[in-house]
Amino acid sequence: MLNVSVTTSSGAIEGLGKFLQYGNGRGVPSYAAFTREHTHRVHDPKYVDWDTVVSLGNTDAFVKALMLFYTSGDTLLVDEWTYPAIIGTVVPMNIQLAPVRMDAEGMVPEALDHVCTNWTGERKLRMVYTIPTAQNPTGATMSIARKRAIYAVAQKHNLVIIEDDPYYYLQFEPYTADSENRYTNLPGITSLVPSLLSLDTDGRVIRLDSFSKVLAPGLRCGWVTAPKYITDKIQFHNETSIQQPAGVSQAIVASLMNEQWGHSGWERHLVQIQRDYAMRRDLFVDLCLKHLNGLVEFTVPDAGMFLWFRVQLKPELQGQTGVMQRVFDSMVANHVLLVPGY
Amino acid sequence: MSFTTSTALASKLPQAKDLSHLFVPTFRIHQKSPFKAVMGMPTLDMINMAGGVPHPSTFPLEQVQATVRAPSHAAPGRTGTLSLERTQANGSTESLNELLQYNDGRGMASYCRFLRQFTEQAHAPPYADWDVVASCGNTDSIAKAVSLFCQQGDHIIVEQYSFPGALSNLVFAKVKPVPVAMDIEGVDPVALDSLCSSWTGATPLRAIYVIPTGQNPTGATMSLARRKALYAVAQKHDLVIIEDDPYYFLQLGPMPETQDTTATDMNKLSLVPSLLSLDTDGRVIRLDSFSKILAPNLRCGWITAPAYIQDRMQILNESTILQPSGLTQGVISRLLNDTWGIEGWIEHLNALRAAYAARRNLFVTLARKHLAGLATFTVPTAGMFLWMRVDLGDAATDATAMPRLLDAMKKGGVMMAPDMPFRVANAAAAAAPERYLRAAFALAETDMFEPALERLARAIASIRGSELQDTQSVACAEPIETTAPAPIAVNSST
Repeated sequence: MLNVSVTTSSGAIEGLGKFLQYGNGRGVPSYAAFTREHTHRVHDPKYVDWDTVVSLGNTDAFVKALMLFYTSGDTLLVDEWTYPAIIGTVVPMNIQLAPVRMDAEGMVPEALDHVCTNWTGERKLRMVYTIPTAQNPTGATMSIARKRAIYAVAQKHNLVIIEDDPYYYLQFEPYTADSENRYTNLPGITSLVPSLLSLDTDGRVIRLDSFSKVLAPGLRCGWVTAPKYITDKIQFHNETSIQQPAGVSQAIVASLMNEQWGHSGWERHLVQIQRDYAMRRDLFVDLCLKHLNGLVEFTVPDAGMFLWFRVQLKPELQGQTGVMQRVFDSMVANHVLLVPGY
Repeated sequence: MSFTTSTALASKLPQAKDLSHLFVPTFRIHQKSPFKAVMGMPTLDMINMAGGVPHPSTFPLEQVQATVRAPSHAAPGRTGTLSLERTQANGSTESLNELLQYNDGRGMASYCRFLRQFTEQAHAPPYADWDVVASCGNTDSIAKAVSLFCQQGDHIIVEQYSFPGALSNLVFAKVKPVPVAMDIEGVDPVALDSLCSSWTGATPLRAIYVIPTGQNPTGATMSLARRKALYAVAQKHDLVIIEDDPYYFLQLGPMPETQDTTATDMNKLSLVPSLLSLDTDGRVIRLDSFSKILAPNLRCGWITAPAYIQDRMQILNESTILQPSGLTQGVISRLLNDTWGIEGWIEHLNALRAAYAARRNLFVTLARKHLAGLATFTVPTAGMFLWMRVDLGDAATDATAMPRLLDAMKKGGVMMAPDMPFRVANAAAAAAPERYLRAAFALAETDMFEPALERLARAIASIRGSELQDTQSVACAEPIETTAPAPIAVNSST
């Protein structure tokens, strides 16, 4: 039983009175301290003056990071398929999107370089937004080599990288059809593909972390890691908007992380979640191979929760308009719902 | 206050006027979030593999329990427990699994349902198609409400002194505040009418942002007559009114005549009606918050507005915060729906009012005693702020006087908010700057009130260049003070 009592602080974490009172845009200290320690353990940022600041989840964090650098008339570099809320956010802000081609590993570095080099817009491109692990919607995960290449292009064109990484911990071992030999090699916390943040010697990565997929979405808790001069500004922006995540949510997270579980308990929890998601991936892929042969093409995801199907249309249907709408309507009529790519 | 259940027949009320011509261009098109349009589809038979939504078996919380106090201080020490179970409904409130899951940009159903009921009882909005959306508190709501009607380069009308959180938002949004004069009751409707009639800005004025009750920083509360007059001017000039009202339920009644006057029975003291309750057009966007009436860091509140405006608010939420912490909404919903019920909630609010009134009474009594000849003020009838006009005497025209006062206060060990962060700059303000301090009598322990005022008095006296007289030996005139007119008694059904 987690116990967060009113007047007494319990060692590592504050009393409930502090969690329920006005604070600042940094969050309650024990929650903020956990985010800093955890980031240090997992990513070990390669420059000195980094810091973390609380967020209400990655969508809100994205908006705040974006607004530091962008205003009406700017253009944001994004994966050619991306998280719909991003589109919904930038449109009212009169910010355009410049899509960059992807392959099975996500954003293609040569394509990013090409778009930047050939950019003729009035305003410089200054920022690229990417979801490097179990990308939404394609499920693609960048290898470390791919991340290094993307980072190099970002350096060449002096881009800020928004690393939106809510599925980071949901990495698993590669799929094998051999069902006897599964779940022996889950990465835990020590063998994850390193993040863009961990490669960031310049301080050009703004990393967005969220508890939504690893604890629960309804807590509305996450954090941003970036150079301190950036997290300071996000703190001020928090203070003129949401203030900080709900105190009750922070209390539960802080108590869980600092007292009940500690870092080793947290890591055990993450391994369990990896196993749960890996089992689902394996079962679903097994069944896709059985039922959808010839109907769709897909790359097996190494992380996350998405399988991205390329629908194999008969030659006579390719190029026709409205075909995917008919596919979607047919799915609904057959009582199965997937998100259409458009 | 007490409320009787409204028997208004909602179907007989008019629909809200369509004010979408006041939206910024993006929001004039009625869009639903495309992602959520897909998510909204499932029927009972539907296998949903659309949403990127975690399975609730991965949530590590089995149960959440909170020990809560009985609503009123009449039963001190009495506590109860509320709990939220994982897989079953919790009274009126959803299961813990549902509270912890992704939900839409409107808020948990049980939370919104209670607030809809409460808003109906407290305000009985006089049009049919209003609705309630959950918020993370009024600062965030202000930003979102402003963004619906104002874009970069636009102007918005504000009170000449206003909430710095709102003013910062306007700076971020590059929306310019246009201050309107206030008197002891708040916004002056004649000044507002004149401002609007003579407006020659490049884009029209479409909205006004006001804090009508226990105004921050001035502590002013608009009477019913004043609110009606403001509403009429807003109608005349087709303005949206953003009614920021976090202190609404902290209405305190008049200052007692003598110290022997029995404390006001809050159960019998009606509230001045809100602008929402007058809103026959549907032009008020009302912002309510639990910050001052439950706890600030719950980060929970609600917005009341016409349904078509709330559809836009939902989209704004879905591209930012999604909704407030579901867990927190669940705790509040359980508390208000089940543990306390609406009667307990009103009992709690009345107990808060009594507590704030006691503080106000003590602080004002001591301020009268210690600040005679040094500062003047109007007694607030709501909220937590005393707005004191500082009389700097011969130093009044000295630009360094206020900074020196603040320094003297700091050295003397008392902190109050100076006027600068609240003041909305314009030519009039620059020309004749009266100097104010805002004292908040909510947080400090009451036995610190007198020391605080003594220290303040010494600091002011030192700036005036005079020695502070022993207050008992000074034959001082009564402080020049005006009292706001007593709130007009209203029918107890509102």
